[in-house]
Amino acid sequence: MARLATFWFWFAVAAIALLCLGQSFGQSQDVAVIVNPKNNVDNLSMAELAKIFRGERQYWRTDLPVLVLLRAPGSYEREVALRSIFRMTESQYKQYWVSRIMRAEATSPPAELYSSGMTKEGVTSIPGSIACISASDVKPGVKVVRINGRLPGEPGYPLH
Amino acid sequence: MTIARHISFLLVLLLATVIARAQATPEPEQSEAVKALLTRIDKLEQRVAELEGGKNTASTLQPNGQPQGSQIPKAEVVEENLATQMPDDHPQNGRSVEPHFPSMQLHGFADVDFSATDERGSFSGFNLGQFVLHVASPLSKRVAYFGELSFTAGPTSYTADVERSIIRYAYNDYFKLSFGRYHTPINYWNTAFHHGLWLQTTISRPEMIRFGGRFLPVHFLGMLAEGNIPSGSLGLGYEVGLGNGRAGTISRAGDTGDVNSNRAWVARIFARPTSLRDLQIGGAVYRDKITPVPALTGSPTFGEWISSAQIAWTRETPELISEFANVHHLNNLTGTVHNSQAYYIQLAYRLPWEQRKWKPYYRFEYTHVPTTEPLFSTTAFEVTDLVGSTAGVRFDITDFAAFKWEYRHTKHRPADPPVNGVFVQTSFTF
Repeated sequence: MARLATFWFWFAVAAIALLCLGQSFGQSQDVAVIVNPKNNVDNLSMAELAKIFRGERQYWRTDLPVLVLLRAPGSYEREVALRSIFRMTESQYKQYWVSRIMRAEATSPPAELYSSGMTKEGVTSIPGSIACISASDVKPGVKVVRINGRLPGEPGYPLH
Repeated sequence: MTIARHISFLLVLLLATVIARAQATPEPEQSEAVKALLTRIDKLEQRVAELEGGKNTASTLQPNGQPQGSQIPKAEVVEENLATQMPDDHPQNGRSVEPHFPSMQLHGFADVDFSATDERGSFSGFNLGQFVLHVASPLSKRVAYFGELSFTAGPTSYTADVERSIIRYAYNDYFKLSFGRYHTPINYWNTAFHHGLWLQTTISRPEMIRFGGRFLPVHFLGMLAEGNIPSGSLGLGYEVGLGNGRAGTISRAGDTGDVNSNRAWVARIFARPTSLRDLQIGGAVYRDKITPVPALTGSPTFGEWISSAQIAWTRETPELISEFANVHHLNNLTGTVHNSQAYYIQLAYRLPWEQRKWKPYYRFEYTHVPTTEPLFSTTAFEVTDLVGSTAGVRFDITDFAAFKWEYRHTKHRPADPPVNGVFVQTSFTF
């Protein structure tokens, strides 16, 4: 009986430890900012990135409007974007776009996509698009933008 | 004894974990399910990519001996089918999020109110606030339309009004030109909250910019150039407008034409510094010639100069909005000059408890009009002195609906008794 209890005790401790460890590993992945390869932007500061995602900067250049693509609620990329770029909660984000549209500063909120594949597809096919994607999901066909001069995986990269 | 100790420790540990997780995520089951589904989609996509990568080397025959190509539609056919589907809020693929023109978005705002005051002759009771429909539709990559319609309950029927109707051509971030009917960019509140009462913290607008008020021109019909000013971290922006200005009834804009041949103009500059998020500081000037209808004795016209300054920090911890305006009237018949001032300061704070649903607020407002002011002291165009305080609390029921409770204490002329009132409102967007 004593052995059985000891076994379950250490089993539970190990399970909880693994759960916490796994969660912290899963939560600390770098998130890459990707654009269409035809876009000549290579580096953005966090302030510029925030302006773009918040809709305050709407053009890359005169002939190329910005189109922000965002993962759907519940995804890790969206969590990082809201926390680090928008600096808003999910509720504040929704309210922010209602108010921007009401102020005639935007016609719609950023398009929401349900998977990394759809996000990559959007960025590949739409010249002015910009999106956040988990760094491990980056594939050829998109361009990763440096943030504050750093790429995902480099020390000091701000999006994770 | 050892067993009991172990089991107790285990239970405490499990309980602590459950509590910690429950505190970290307000809706754990739902959010975990969504996360799991999104992860599953990503894994399936990776699996599809792997299978597509290896399909050339794999057998193309089904168990029944038929080639796969006869049952699985070709990629071109699938894409063609997807392309013919109308875009909706749930894109089927990444390409379908490309903007389509026109694509109208409709939003609505409404409110239901209760009021009770000790003003002589007033009755307490419920009333239906404005029902507002807001339309936004991009017409091309550069052109967009915005409209705002309001329906206001009157004693015998509803009054419909086109509050805003704007078509905008955007050349780039630095130059956007639009035509139509605006809320005059002379004031922060007027251009931040419009007719969406849910957007504003309080139940009522400040007296200096209330709808139907006369102190500042709420609406403006004409053209407006706006954009960012290259200024780095200062985040400067501008708005310059040319329009009809005030109508003969000075609370209205000249919707059907100007009341005189002098155009009004307005210019506003503001800064949204990058380092101080949600802060906006600005100032504006407005120039018009007022031709009152009905005419005053001697039919004077008035040259109007309005200058204003605004500061708004809308971060909510705290929220601070304060504005000042000076209205300068030159009587063109007598040459006399009169200056009237108004300001308000509003403070609010989003409380951290209960999922940040509560936001208490307080506003002080003040208006001063000289007794010799010929226009504002005439009954038809009257603006009176005001000293007022508003205290209340806002409770956000959901992300898109709020309850507000408000107490107001106002005093107009020295001889008038003060008025106290209690107001309740539920406002929402849909």
